[in-house]
Amino acid sequence: MDNAIIIGAGPAGLTAAVTCAEKGLDVVVIDEYMRAGGRLLGQLYEEPNGNWWNGIKESNKLYEKAVDLGVNFHLNTAVNNIENSNGIWTIYTERETFHTPSLLLATGAAEAPVPVPGWTLPGVMSVGAAQVMTNVHRVKPGERGVIIGVNVLSAAIAMELQLAGVEVASLTLPKTNQVTQDAGKPKEVLDSLLHVSHMAPSPFVRYGSKLMKNDFMKKLGVNFFPKKGVKMWDIPIQLRKAVTKIYGEDEVEGVTLATINADGEVVSGSEEHIPVDFVCIAGGLYPLAELAAVAGCPFYLVEELGGYVPLHNERMESPLEGLYVAGNITGIEGAKVAAAQGRTAGLSMAHHAGMDDLDGEIKNSIKRTEQTRDNAHIQFHPEIETGRKKILQQWDAYQSNKERSVVSNSRGGIT
Amino acid sequence: MTRRILDHPILGKMEDNNYVSFTFNQKGYKGLENESLAAALLANGIRTLRHHEESGSPRGIYCNIGHCYECRVSVDGQQGIRACLTPVKEGMTVESDGQLPSSKRR
Amino acid sequence: MKEDEMIICRCEEVSYEELKTTAAKYKCSARELKLRTRAGMGYCGGRSCRTMVDKIAATSANDRNRTCVSLKYQPPIRPISFKNLGG
Ligand code: FES
Repeated sequence: MDNAIIIGAGPAGLTAAVTCAEKGLDVVVIDEYMRAGGRLLGQLYEEPNGNWWNGIKESNKLYEKAVDLGVNFHLNTAVNNIENSNGIWTIYTERETFHTPSLLLATGAAEAPVPVPGWTLPGVMSVGAAQVMTNVHRVKPGERGVIIGVNVLSAAIAMELQLAGVEVASLTLPKTNQVTQDAGKPKEVLDSLLHVSHMAPSPFVRYGSKLMKNDFMKKLGVNFFPKKGVKMWDIPIQLRKAVTKIYGEDEVEGVTLATINADGEVVSGSEEHIPVDFVCIAGGLYPLAELAAVAGCPFYLVEELGGYVPLHNERMESPLEGLYVAGNITGIEGAKVAAAQGRTAGLSMAHHAGMDDLDGEIKNSIKRTEQTRDNAHIQFHPEIETGRKKILQQWDAYQSNKERSVVSNSRGGIT
Repeated sequence: MTRRILDHPILGKMEDNNYVSFTFNQKGYKGLENESLAAALLANGIRTLRHHEESGSPRGIYCNIGHCYECRVSVDGQQGIRACLTPVKEGMTVESDGQLPSSKRR
Repeated sequence: MKEDEMIICRCEEVSYEELKTTAAKYKCSARELKLRTRAGMGYCGGRSCRTMVDKIAATSANDRNRTCVSLKYQPPIRPISFKNLGG
């Protein structure tokens, strides 16, 4: 039996592990990847102060700290199932079975694809896959590629590819359909990008914020948005183009790129062939919460957080006894927010293990999470605060419902 | 032309002196010890890791972090191993998964 | 390849067309759409296509249930090889 088990060795899981170990708990961390760090490993960007945020270094720092504190790592180990009986969680992995009263799910996020005809061809990969290949494994995903789907994540990774000497021929849209929806409409994409304009000192956004003060101007802006696109870090961003097809015999050989109108409809006859040897699909991230689901944790759909998230409170407790959540499983945000949540979760777990006098520290940690969120350099959803409020309201509603049903049950028993 | 990014403007130089040998579909390749099989194969220019069980359509890595199971290969006789999560070791024998004889190309 | 022939579920090779017509015909939930087409029931457990199947279902049925995960998850969430099952 271990005092605390953490599934996921990303920024949330690692920080929670360090926190628990500092409080004297025996901690086990399980992750199916071969290195600790999760999505943090691939991150590489320049902060406003001119320093580079190097995900590999940050991951190693956290990992080494955890190891020094005696945290036990089981990497390359996939968890198949979790179960609770009598207050003890059982964690089934490919190899061993673990037991603990205190379990943290820090499983992060998965990528949501935008489908494009031909996207099963070898050479087509998620944008996160290209990031890991480039920054973690230091292997080029290809010589020249296009990225389909324009959002904060794909723009950041486009820049990382460029930095590593991989040519990005275009950062462009998918064709709009029932699945891609707004991601294929120039007006909507522009709109969502403008929400994050404060963080990107690029010509693209400067062009945007001057023109786009209201809806009418936005529509106008898209119409005037140069068909060739505008360049950001030398990468053409083409909001008036969409990939209608990825072609190739056995592997990617190129994409068909068409001009689209402001509503995303293809202008017929505008198709051209762009030869590339890889394609990235960028549909954004959603919380990966399958283990919370199999455990029977209640969920709520909050679009601002990226999808269905397990109910939780600010202390990172789920409604299930001894089950905690932290990081992107609770909503899509940056690594720094995830780490701050991980610290709160670690403290809550130490509290659960019987450690007294942690209330002050937990409160501070919650406050620090909010500050980190306010100062975030990259925000994945403009309405993240609204999303956080929604889930807390749901938590409150759930708790008072539970109390009410306990009361009514006991009344029922009397009459 | 190397597909490896040996020198990176921010991440710096990487060491590439710990090569090991492995085979993929009976052909010999070199990879860096403990890098993922998917990375080692891509560094050798190999994108197609398997063919779909029914249609035989070629598949390669998609997510690169263990979520999609598109990169399934057999490693030393064991099927269904995700190439993106498997560290390369000296002498590994790797085969494409799910490749039905009828759908085999060429 | 036409847009309709485009694959949504990579594991079971379920096309956009099949999902669209099934969703339009039965006006069904994402869960039912999955059972009818096998989309999301393959090797990866729906991790790749889940969000897409959700969206296609949501355009035909008005069933976006906020409190239950539209496509249920079942253990094991990772396929277990026969070798490990046999012990
Ligand atoms: S590439 Fe997705 S599991 Fe390996």
